[in-house]
Amino acid sequence: MNLDRVSNEEKLNLCRKYYLGGFALLPFLWLVNVFWFFREAFLVPAYTEQLQIKRYVQRSAVGLLFWVIVLTTWISIYQTHRAQWGEMGDYLSFTIPLGTP
Amino acid sequence: MLCEGIGGEKEAEAAGKMAAVEEEEEMGSSCSWRMRGVAVVLLRGLLLCALVAGSGWCNSVERKIYIPLNRTASCVRLMNATHQIGCQSSMNGDTGVIHVVEKPEDVQWVLTDGPHPPYIVLLDGELFTRDLMDQLKESSRISGVAVAIAKPSPVKGFSPASKCPNDGFGVYSSDYGPQYAHCNNMEWNPLGNGLFYEDFSFPIFLLQDENETEVIKQCYQTYNLPRNGSVPQYPLCAMQLFSHMHAVTSTVTCMRRTSLQSTFSINPEVICDPLSDYNVWSTLKPVNVSTKLNSTEKVVMVATRIDSHSMFWNVAPGAESAVASFVTHLAAAEAIHKAPNVQSLPKNIMFTFFQGESFDYIGSSRMAYDMQKNKFPIRLENIEYFLELSQLAPTNPSVFWMHTDPLSQRNLSDQINTMLVALKNSTAGTGVEVREISSSQALPPSSFQRFLRLKEIPGVVLADHNTSFQNKYYQSIYDTSENILLNYPEWLSPEEALDHVTETAKSLAEVATVVARALYQLAGGSGSTTAIQADPKTVTRMLYGFLVRTNNSWFQSIIKADLKGILENEPPPYYIAVSKPVNATYLVHYVLANLTGTVANLTKENCLSSDGDLYEYAWVQGPQDPNSTSSRLPFCVRSAVHLSSAISPAFELREWGSTQYSTWTESRWKELHARIFLVASKQLEIITLIVGIVILIISFIATYFINAKADVLFATPQDSGAVAY
Repeated sequence: MNLDRVSNEEKLNLCRKYYLGGFALLPFLWLVNVFWFFREAFLVPAYTEQLQIKRYVQRSAVGLLFWVIVLTTWISIYQTHRAQWGEMGDYLSFTIPLGTP
Repeated sequence: MLCEGIGGEKEAEAAGKMAAVEEEEEMGSSCSWRMRGVAVVLLRGLLLCALVAGSGWCNSVERKIYIPLNRTASCVRLMNATHQIGCQSSMNGDTGVIHVVEKPEDVQWVLTDGPHPPYIVLLDGELFTRDLMDQLKESSRISGVAVAIAKPSPVKGFSPASKCPNDGFGVYSSDYGPQYAHCNNMEWNPLGNGLFYEDFSFPIFLLQDENETEVIKQCYQTYNLPRNGSVPQYPLCAMQLFSHMHAVTSTVTCMRRTSLQSTFSINPEVICDPLSDYNVWSTLKPVNVSTKLNSTEKVVMVATRIDSHSMFWNVAPGAESAVASFVTHLAAAEAIHKAPNVQSLPKNIMFTFFQGESFDYIGSSRMAYDMQKNKFPIRLENIEYFLELSQLAPTNPSVFWMHTDPLSQRNLSDQINTMLVALKNSTAGTGVEVREISSSQALPPSSFQRFLRLKEIPGVVLADHNTSFQNKYYQSIYDTSENILLNYPEWLSPEEALDHVTETAKSLAEVATVVARALYQLAGGSGSTTAIQADPKTVTRMLYGFLVRTNNSWFQSIIKADLKGILENEPPPYYIAVSKPVNATYLVHYVLANLTGTVANLTKENCLSSDGDLYEYAWVQGPQDPNSTSSRLPFCVRSAVHLSSAISPAFELREWGSTQYSTWTESRWKELHARIFLVASKQLEIITLIVGIVILIISFIATYFINAKADVLFATPQDSGAVAY
């Protein structure tokens, strides 16, 4: 969808939907929100709904950052420690590489 | 590489063929097309030609680069409750420059001096020792080892097994005879270097064919040999070994992963399988297998193992460790069945052939477990005596040793003495002598120990050794027919050799006679035993079949028609493996059925449908019809031979970390193969790669400019054509 052809109300509506949707453990919605509405929130000339859009984008960015930190930490711990965890490591895995502990 | 393996080649060939057909069709139909159509088809045809040519080219490049080694055996990964043993390569195979090590000094080159690591060591069979392998194991400059089989076998002996075989799974432990536990009292296999139980991080292959070894050495001498002190130059002769193993760590880990995969994965991948097969057993008087034997009925149990192993997968000749003794056992079973009035003996005799004994007693621990849990027609209480035939190679003079358990001597001395006396009495008139061992010596590794763990049963283990093993090649690649002195004159045809009575056969037949007579007495037979005689002719046929070639007229005539594919011009491997039953089990089964069964006068249909609880019926191929060259005279054999599962109770109970039962598993793998080729230096490889990338980039740039200036370069023909017309 091209944001240039959408009314400001519609933009705010969309941005809010993406922001709220992100709370359903869907950090990718926040990611999309941040990238998609960044221009609208910070770069284009001011309009009435912009303040709210800005707020949603900022909050989405914070949520996204939180998720990035959590996932990066977990993935690095998992990758480096899976073999040591033994049985628990196997139960936490969906696929286990062949021929490695 | 463009295409790899036979699969790749075939696909490419098929693609080539299809492309050719398509091209012809298009060419045929294109005649009516306009000029432009023709041009397009021509272009497409050119492309297809390139494809066809490409596939052929790819095929021959593969062949031009690599020389595959076809007669090899690989060391694979096995696991028990706590450890992994064996070898593995990386996923894409391990490559290294070949260095031939024929003298112990040669190894310095690969460990320190050579400038082209990593190396693959081509090791002379005589040098395949613990010391040298330990040195190689510690070095980071080694990417693999290829062992050339030594011919003749190493004089000083070689055994990759441990000094105390099946330690911890026998009867002696801290609770029962702690002074005998862990071979404190006697090191049974002093030559055992334990290489089999080591974990190597590089692949080890066995080269079984001398010609192939010669080809590799030739390649080495041409390219890799340092000349007059100067370092050899690229290209160098290299070897690539593939033996990537899927399982890792231990049986606990790999079985857990396998079972996890099977619970939720759509495409479950098994990564290891328990070593398992079947025990073969039969009784003198048929036993109903669907009920349990009355506790008043007594059975004399005879047992041997029918398996062995070596460091290499599916290479397990086991002549002395298994074959000589189970052949003796089979001959004794035949002798008893042929003796008069044996069906009226007060006690029954059970002939038992255990599989997987060399892996912590898989077969016997399972049967003993089943007997204890009342899952077997015979119970532990029914066993009156237990006679085990351990390693029985012919010795000169023919002296065999009766091993007994020093601890059960206290309570069961009468019964054990009865057994010893019966064996001694039976030697009269034969050239065999049997002697007792010192009363303070523990039992050698034997299946009997697994029964003794559950119940005090009077038992004797008959073996060719007094103290430690006589066998110099226990569980190794060299435990072949030569190890039990089985020789045939060279001029004999295979059929003549089958019936040629060797000295080994005569001597084992005498042992079988002694065993059969002793069993007759132990089963309560009171008459004269002189009529009981094992036939040296049967023994020699069995030795030939089990140790020289299974594809002989006798084996052909006694097996089912659908099993004739298992017969080969070489002896079967006696490794238990994970598929079941293995060929060795089939052969023992049918030989036992033939020697102890009777011919039932039934048609094929009746024969196949009359399998019951007492007897097993087999419709076998029969001998060659003398009146015709192609047809056979099949017949029906009725015998009391049965198979029983030989999978460790640990897997039945899902106790993969068990210390009571064998937990050996074998990893799965995708491929095991080896090949040699010439490698170029790293610089040359990098230069080739860079030139390739540069050409690619240039072609991109060229294409861009040609595309940009297309209107200038390709003036449209329609325009000029229109003007001309």
